[in-house]
Amino acid sequence: MKFSYSWLCEHLETDKNATEIGDALTNIGLELESLSDYSSYSKFVVATIKDFKKHPNADRLNICKVDDGADTYQVICGANNVKKGLKGIFAKEGMYIPGTQIHLKKGKIRGETSEGMLLSERELNLSDDHEGIIELSENFKNGTSAVEALKLDDPIFEIGITPNRGDCLSIRGVARDLSAKGMGKLKPLKYEKIKKLEFESPISWSIKNDDNSCEYVVSRYFKDVNNTKSPEWLQKKLISLGLRPINALVDITNFITVDLGRPLHVFDADKVGKKLDMRLANSNEKILALDNKDYTLDVSSTVIADSNNALAIAGIIGGDHSGCTENTKNVFLEVAIFNPNSVAKTGRSLGINSDARYRFERGLDKNMVLEGLEYASYLINKICGGSVSKNTDAGKLDTNEHKIKYDFNYFNKVIGLDLQPQIQVKILKDLEFQINDRGHNECDVLVPSWRNDVKNNIDIVEEIIRIYGYDNINVSVPSSSKDEINNIENSLVNKKFKTISKLKKTLISNGVSEVITFSFQSNRAQEILTGDTSLKISNAISDDQSFMRNSMIFNHLESAELNFKKGIKNIQLFEIGPIYNSSQSQENILSLLISSQDDTNSIYKSVNFNFYSLTELASKLINSLNFDIKQFNISRSTSNFYHPGQSAEVHMGKKLIARYGKVHPLIMEEFPKLKNTYAIELFFENLPIETISRINSINISDSQFQFSEKDFSFIFEKQQNLYEVQRYVTGIDKNLIKSVEFFDLYESKDLGDSSKSVTFRVTIQSKEKTLEEKDLEQLHKNILEKVSNKFKAKIRT
Amino acid sequence: MDIKKVLNEATKAIEQSSNQLDLQNVKVAYLGKKGKITELLKSVKDLSLDEKKSTGAELNQLRGEVDNLIKIKFNQIKVEEINSKLRNESLDFSFPPPNSISPKVHPISKTFDEVITIFGSMGYSVAEGPDIETDYFNFSALNIPENHPAREMQDTFYIDDKDKDGKPFVLRTHTSPVQIRTLLNEKPPIKIIAPGRTYRCDSDSTHSPMFHQVEGLFINKNANMGDLKGTLIEFCKQFFNVQDLKVRFRPSYFPFTEPSAEMDIAYEIVNNKIKLGQGDCWLEILGCGMVNPIVLENCNVDTKNFQGFAFGMGLDRITMLKYGLTDIRSFFSGNLNWIANNGFSIGDF
Repeated sequence: MKFSYSWLCEHLETDKNATEIGDALTNIGLELESLSDYSSYSKFVVATIKDFKKHPNADRLNICKVDDGADTYQVICGANNVKKGLKGIFAKEGMYIPGTQIHLKKGKIRGETSEGMLLSERELNLSDDHEGIIELSENFKNGTSAVEALKLDDPIFEIGITPNRGDCLSIRGVARDLSAKGMGKLKPLKYEKIKKLEFESPISWSIKNDDNSCEYVVSRYFKDVNNTKSPEWLQKKLISLGLRPINALVDITNFITVDLGRPLHVFDADKVGKKLDMRLANSNEKILALDNKDYTLDVSSTVIADSNNALAIAGIIGGDHSGCTENTKNVFLEVAIFNPNSVAKTGRSLGINSDARYRFERGLDKNMVLEGLEYASYLINKICGGSVSKNTDAGKLDTNEHKIKYDFNYFNKVIGLDLQPQIQVKILKDLEFQINDRGHNECDVLVPSWRNDVKNNIDIVEEIIRIYGYDNINVSVPSSSKDEINNIENSLVNKKFKTISKLKKTLISNGVSEVITFSFQSNRAQEILTGDTSLKISNAISDDQSFMRNSMIFNHLESAELNFKKGIKNIQLFEIGPIYNSSQSQENILSLLISSQDDTNSIYKSVNFNFYSLTELASKLINSLNFDIKQFNISRSTSNFYHPGQSAEVHMGKKLIARYGKVHPLIMEEFPKLKNTYAIELFFENLPIETISRINSINISDSQFQFSEKDFSFIFEKQQNLYEVQRYVTGIDKNLIKSVEFFDLYESKDLGDSSKSVTFRVTIQSKEKTLEEKDLEQLHKNILEKVSNKFKAKIRT
Repeated sequence: MDIKKVLNEATKAIEQSSNQLDLQNVKVAYLGKKGKITELLKSVKDLSLDEKKSTGAELNQLRGEVDNLIKIKFNQIKVEEINSKLRNESLDFSFPPPNSISPKVHPISKTFDEVITIFGSMGYSVAEGPDIETDYFNFSALNIPENHPAREMQDTFYIDDKDKDGKPFVLRTHTSPVQIRTLLNEKPPIKIIAPGRTYRCDSDSTHSPMFHQVEGLFINKNANMGDLKGTLIEFCKQFFNVQDLKVRFRPSYFPFTEPSAEMDIAYEIVNNKIKLGQGDCWLEILGCGMVNPIVLENCNVDTKNFQGFAFGMGLDRITMLKYGLTDIRSFFSGNLNWIANNGFSIGDF
């Protein structure tokens, strides 16, 4: 909210300057967002261009003789509005120019001395105008301060009001809070009640019994008014807040909205019927509002209506047809209380953000209804003349004062500060809370009518510490207990974050960079990757971010494409983050993408990255978590993310641990620039992280006796899963077979389409002795027989 | 006997050998079974007893000397042969390596790590909750009822799918729903932080539709606002690595805390760069407050016996402040050059 210092001072008697007021506002929770304080501009003064001539060395520059009342200076000026007799604002050398943030130095400009500067509005931070130097229209004496000449002597505050403080959406409310902080004394409102309410209002109210949001409404009828332009003081006030003056009647309602926080409305009484209703709107009822837009209402909105039409949307905006113009002769003033919830709901569904709505939905001071009526009547009568009717009203004004039983010790317990009851009581009284039945430890607190946000003991505590000052709260140094340290050690989530760190380190050391991409994916990605359509974001910012992602692959391909366009040919990136299976199921996974476009470097790249390199990397990742890929079931991947012939899936029981492979060519059609692109997805949350220990790691036997190696070649069925073979061979003699490593794969026409020839090397070593030839031969024979029987494999010689 | 002559001959032959084979032949010619020196030694048996003694000794010395010379020569030849082989194996050390992006972790990862470590040292364990939340957990349970103006403080993304209350799921607008989930699942005392992704439909250089927050929650019998201040000041000192840190707590409003506060840290501009810790300007760092008893009651916590505080801060924001980064959008662009410039290598992580 915006207001000027002088306006504030109409409500607050204070000797504090704008800066002090600004600090206090922030300290009591009315955060100062900006303060335009131009008091330092008094050093800039009015000066006149006595004479000027062209700069000999620069076409656009002039050499001006400038008189600031005390002396004459030579100033080089490039403005195009330089003329003899112009009165402008002058800065001498050494002065700081706020708009350009430089200190003015005496110097030569193209060989001619310049002893100062004539300023533009932009150089004074007053506007963006840099068309020319400031030209004063009034005839100020040279040497007059810029503050006076430019009327900058009234600082403007802009403060942020949190949603609970509807009472401070008025200048009077802000003044009241400042006075409680000791920043001054609240002045009484200056107005006189209308002495003679001469007649009965010809227009009357009824509130329909249909659950509409009106609790109470009161009005007065003003006869024979003269609705002119507002007086200057009123226009100036509105302009200072950036509001446009319209006519006196409208300006008065706008003024009272800001001054007292009391929205009210004026109807042109000749444009409305004699019986007005507060009622729910009919379905599809239409109204042209004062903002010149048509709105279609539904049955949840409350309207003000006569027997023919809806005249206004209650608490939000008036209708265009019944509004006051300069021709208005008779006026009907409406002051009402509407339910905040209902106003908020209607306002939001119609998308109308009016000053009235803003205040109604934050709750109004019910005691301000009649005071607002009186104040508005006084101003209308004073400015527009005419005569005023008696009140006409409907409903019941229930001010229902709120009482809280308050325990003084509660403050100390919550805040950690031993504040004496008498200090607490004083602060509450300063805030105009009434204290009754004060006992040793507790009292009754009567909440003022404008503070409908204060409901409980804790709210009272907040009020007291807010005024006492957060700076006065003692700081205590936190520590951790043994139990807490134990909790951390046992926390599964902590363990998960450790796992994530391990993975990151492994990846970085393997040359893969980390990225973080949005949790969204595009329409297109959703179509191709076929995720759950219920994951659509109803109000997405763009088509590119319209679904929650069910994989990171698309995001990473987009990122790879972006990097490729930047000239990076070998892209290796990963992300650890969430993917979404449904609105109620998400999991954190590691997703990695490798896309290597560059095979020209024959010196450094002897082998291109391929599916087997990917398998090795997947195995390393699993290893870094102290698991062994060989522990798990590995099969072809059925995911449509991957090339069906160059992909694999790793399962533990039914749980998916990882899948990896070449990205499916159909997906890659969306990214024609990218070639040779592979991905790994590691579902590390499915690993039994809580039981991770060294036991899970492969038990490499270390023996001092001689080992022996023997290669075996078999012809298997093409579909044979070699991990099974490996596991089987290892199991033939667990004591002697140290490792089984596959190193050759051969497929050819001679073997037929359904066969493959595979060679593996078995390393044999005993922990007890150097094996004799006959032991070895027996084991070799055993392996040959068992493998060929088990897998119906032919021994290849 | 011309022992001297034989020695001269042998020495010359050894010196003239240029490879292992030549040298082997020399060795055979002198020390082999039928070698010159061997033959001479054989002939000693025909000499008289006196001559046997002296000539035998001289010949044995000769054999030793020649054997030694051969060994020395053998080593010389071997070293030369290896050197010559190495000369042929020479590669071009000056062939530059290919361009590569140095792999780094994202600055947010580093911040996550530090936040978990610093709060860990104060006894906070890590908790988590889903990104797709129910209206109840994200708003109502946190004392933000429907139509409350506070809902408009946060532009919410909605999901088409509806929860069991018939309300559309939301993308959590803050990490605060983890407070509710934890309070419902665990008995106090509770001391947790919950870092994670959060969402608001807003996008410019300081707002991203996705960003990161960390929530903190401490509930026990007597955690008070002084503890809250101390905790957050300590965190900022450690995180920003500024011991002499000027801070300000000022009243604010969040429906789920009462009293509520925002914490600012002082800064000044030195050489066009932000210097944190001192100065007359203030930067907002986080929001916090004492957990509103209404929230505790919503989670069936006995408010007669338990109280505490909560806080929430933007992890992207504190990362940007700490490392002087300016555009939040670059965090999530997947630009590897940006990561290489602003990320952290393994030693710094």
